[in-house]
Amino acid sequence: MTSARSIIAKLSPLLACLGLLAVWQIAALWLDTESFPTASHALQTVPQILGDPEQLLNILDSIRRMVIGFSLAVLISIPLGLAMGRSARVSAFFNPLLMMIYPVPKAALMPVIMLWLGVGDASKTLVIFLGVSLPVIYHSFQGAKAVEEKMLWSGAAMGLNGLQRMVRIVLPAALPEILTGCRTGLVLALITMVTSEMIARQSGAGNILFNAMDMAQYDTVFAMIIIIGALGIVLDAAFDKLRWRLVKWAEPHQEILLGAS
Amino acid sequence: MQVPLRPEIDTGTGATSGERARAMIEIASVSKRFETSGRKSHLALSDINLTVDDGAFVSILGPSGCGKSTLLYIVGGFVAPSEGVARMKGTTITGPGPDRGPVFQEFALFPWKTVLGNVTYGLRQQGVKRGEAEAQSLRLIEMVGLKGFEHFYPKELSGGMKQRVAIARTLAYRPSVLLMDEPFGALDAHTRTRLQNDLLNIWERDRKTVLFVTHSVEEAVFLSDKVVVMTRAPGRIKQIVDIDLPRPRIRAELLLDSHYQKYVVDIERMIDDGRDDAEHS
Amino acid sequence: MSAQRLATALMGALPILFVLAVWQALCSFGYAPPSLLPPPGKVFLRLAQQLGNVGFLDDILATLIRLFAGFLVAVVLGVGIGLAAAVVPAINAVVRPLVQVLAPLPKVALYPALIILFGFDHASKITLVTLDALFPILLSTYYGASMVEQKLVWSALAAGTPRWQILFKVIAPAALPSILTGCRIGLVISCIVVFLAEMISSTDGLGHLLVGAARTFQTVDMFVPLITISLLGLTLNGLLYGLRKYLLRGFPEV
Repeated sequence: MTSARSIIAKLSPLLACLGLLAVWQIAALWLDTESFPTASHALQTVPQILGDPEQLLNILDSIRRMVIGFSLAVLISIPLGLAMGRSARVSAFFNPLLMMIYPVPKAALMPVIMLWLGVGDASKTLVIFLGVSLPVIYHSFQGAKAVEEKMLWSGAAMGLNGLQRMVRIVLPAALPEILTGCRTGLVLALITMVTSEMIARQSGAGNILFNAMDMAQYDTVFAMIIIIGALGIVLDAAFDKLRWRLVKWAEPHQEILLGAS
Repeated sequence: MQVPLRPEIDTGTGATSGERARAMIEIASVSKRFETSGRKSHLALSDINLTVDDGAFVSILGPSGCGKSTLLYIVGGFVAPSEGVARMKGTTITGPGPDRGPVFQEFALFPWKTVLGNVTYGLRQQGVKRGEAEAQSLRLIEMVGLKGFEHFYPKELSGGMKQRVAIARTLAYRPSVLLMDEPFGALDAHTRTRLQNDLLNIWERDRKTVLFVTHSVEEAVFLSDKVVVMTRAPGRIKQIVDIDLPRPRIRAELLLDSHYQKYVVDIERMIDDGRDDAEHS
Repeated sequence: MSAQRLATALMGALPILFVLAVWQALCSFGYAPPSLLPPPGKVFLRLAQQLGNVGFLDDILATLIRLFAGFLVAVVLGVGIGLAAAVVPAINAVVRPLVQVLAPLPKVALYPALIILFGFDHASKITLVTLDALFPILLSTYYGASMVEQKLVWSALAAGTPRWQILFKVIAPAALPSILTGCRIGLVISCIVVFLAEMISSTDGLGHLLVGAARTFQTVDMFVPLITISLLGLTLNGLLYGLRKYLLRGFPEV
């Protein structure tokens, strides 16, 4: 009985996907307009897009930029966030600046950055980097701030110096929170990637999406939405698995997924 | 396990009508089984029979995990028994009601309401008009010694003060029975003593029925007319001890009283026996 | 204590001043041609001028209408669904997998579909804002409501609260800190998304101003809407912070 229930629990996201596709299918059949293809039509177009080497290369380029931007952001943001969390001075220094930048849509900087760095990889990667940085800094900051003072005292009593305490105590203790930030950052990376390409309109997944829109290739529009959506869901699920392995020891706690750049 | 002394059980069936009218709470053959993960289940309470008379102060005493709080929650109507019934004034308990007022160890005050707002809540819920409800609440707040703190929020109070508010909040809607779930368990020793004294003083005024869960032997003997000693899981009643000490009880005198001391020692021994049984089985 | 606070404020102002100084220096010493990076004084002067310009104010208004409409719908839906999912197991069983799938979905990718379905006007942008702001609000409401201390509910029941009122009298107020945290995240997201949507396709609004300026290489005019949206976000965030502080005056600091 229990195993049956757990199987249903595992399958439920899949069922949800099928349900959404079914709703789409029915809505499209009911509306019956050329601009809103059925789910089955859109799904059939997916292999056509992925089978076209040029378009596949375009999408892979997008993913490459996303991975680079995300990795750089994580590498820089975690130490900064941890330092802010453990030092009142560092946090007083950076907080207001970050507060100012927070509500600025990072992808909106695209036109400005394009002026400076051109329309190439550099601009798009930089925008993704900016988009990912803030949530990762914020969560690392929160995680480091919440580390029990007495744990650090024990560390100091055992003879760890400041840097060692940071790496061997603060980092692991804040890891659950940091990973929550990274998960948010991952979703943001994908969103920023798509948006920057929609704005720069030169290459990548976002570009395919909007070009198809301009040329009224509605099957392609919806197929691209499926591809990007699936990418988001798969990346998130994969990251969640990784996170679960890394912080098995942590108490389960609430997490709020952000979703915008 | 052999129970050394059969507890005096009054299931209500054998009692005369006169005695029956005095019974406030009857717990008849109550068991509680909790479903844990998968097929396993955990028997928290086994075949509990207990009658609490009107106006009696009864403590339930036992080691942690003996299901004593669960028993209280069943009387409160928060948790349903797996077997048996609990009755309040002869009516089977099916859910919570303002005739049974709980006081929890965790205080459980509404953080979004002030002291006055918390105490007024129950009265407003009974349909008492705001002005009247506030007047009554102010009197209660004064009675529990918190005059001047009416407009404070719970977060601004100490633990002992919070529990005073919780007691006032429950007394406000005039329950027939107070259900106290280790109410002083989270407080420091000094505050605990003061609250015990104050609780007794309040209780002396109207002699409400009190069902009081605790793991402190001294507290149970000091406060109660009857102490129900329970065994380790699954919780069974091991013995019911009548505390025959004069009231009003004054702590300083009682601590030196040899009867009081004997009750404490006897009951502690009883609980220790239980532990040996559990460890040997 | 106030001296310490002043010191903290000054400390925080430093990097902002530093950024402005570098910006100014880059312009003054000719490292950045004004066509790529206009001097800050010029940008803020233009911002001040624009604030007296009816057309510019209309653009701000258009952005604000979309932002608030989308955000408010997201609050109503998010709080409603979140509370319902926390209280009713049947709703939970349906909502949970749907949220699992939809929350990590990059909503911007749906924008073309929304345009096809709802047209280029307000509706598609408002829907996009709602979709993006919805999930943080929903999730934090759900977590807040499902972690309400059981004994608060019991206390209210014992005081004679009917079961159907528990949701409004206990669970919703107890979950308020969590709900407001979700709203704060949702509000920032709304700011961001409305701007992006206007950049991608619009005929008015702050996002459109940026794109328009970029097309004609009017760098000064590109910076003005960016700074405006940032100030707008900060202001709204500050207002919500004040509201939160007032509403949660009884709750312990988190």
